[in-house]
Amino acid sequence: MKYSVDDSQASESVKSILDSIPTSGMPYEEVLRTLDKIGIEWQVTEEGDLLVRCWQVGAEGFVYREEAAVIRSSRPSPKQGEELDWLSRNLQDIRERYGGQWVAIYNNEVAAAARNLPDLMGQIAELDKPFITFIPSEPVIWTFTYANKKL
Amino acid sequence: MPTKNFEQVIQFHEAQTPNGSIWLPLVEVALISPTMGPVSLSLLFDTGASVTTLKADLFPLLGLQSWNEGQLVPSAGLGGTLDTYRYTGTFEIWGKTIECPIHLAPLPDHPLFSGLLGREAVFNEFGFGFWESVHELYITTNP
Repeated sequence: MKYSVDDSQASESVKSILDSIPTSGMPYEEVLRTLDKIGIEWQVTEEGDLLVRCWQVGAEGFVYREEAAVIRSSRPSPKQGEELDWLSRNLQDIRERYGGQWVAIYNNEVAAAARNLPDLMGQIAELDKPFITFIPSEPVIWTFTYANKKL
Repeated sequence: MPTKNFEQVIQFHEAQTPNGSIWLPLVEVALISPTMGPVSLSLLFDTGASVTTLKADLFPLLGLQSWNEGQLVPSAGLGGTLDTYRYTGTFEIWGKTIECPIHLAPLPDHPLFSGLLGREAVFNEFGFGFWESVHELYITTNP
């Protein structure tokens, strides 16, 4: 299942999951894993209550689409860029461990890795907008130029 | 001299290399994959790229069976003339959803980006300012 702030159908699915928790008999570990997978922030209180944070529609048609684009561009998604930064900071370790593989990064960890992209895609179908890249096993080349004509 | 206003500033990405740090104008976009839904990719902002170009290996994300089943478009690029193949895809970028041509090409592997964000059908949607010395890309969604 995918969840995004724009997907009211998925939002309803999340709501149904949350509503069913008290009676589902699902082990708490599985409930928490499910919340992680669908991108719902959660915490457990000292009293043992489960608190969740999720988006809900505050006002439909709040602004015109053109205005929405302006607002969204000046207030990027909280997740934007985090995975790339995390990858860059940990690139040496990741290359040693995952060189020659495709990786999906999600919530600042390698959520899945595979030798080919279809295999990776099969592992991350439930993640919301995972960051995907290929980790070369060879040394990374950092300089780019247009040139190949023999002189 | 006209005045241009921008609503957003994107800081270049600082990467550590064996020869010190470098700054790359990387842009994170969401490719709306027909098979996967949205996935996040990092692309190099490239005013020299006519068309947004992705690594050929990404073809499964476009719902393709192989990278070279589309329209052949010879292109000049890194490494000289390349055979690229043209498709259409949808990106979410800076708050806009854009359907644009995508070329697949055998680009060199790089862990921090999977392709080049190029001009056709994308750059018209925005205005850009590029300030290398402060490592910043300026964007307006109302060009």
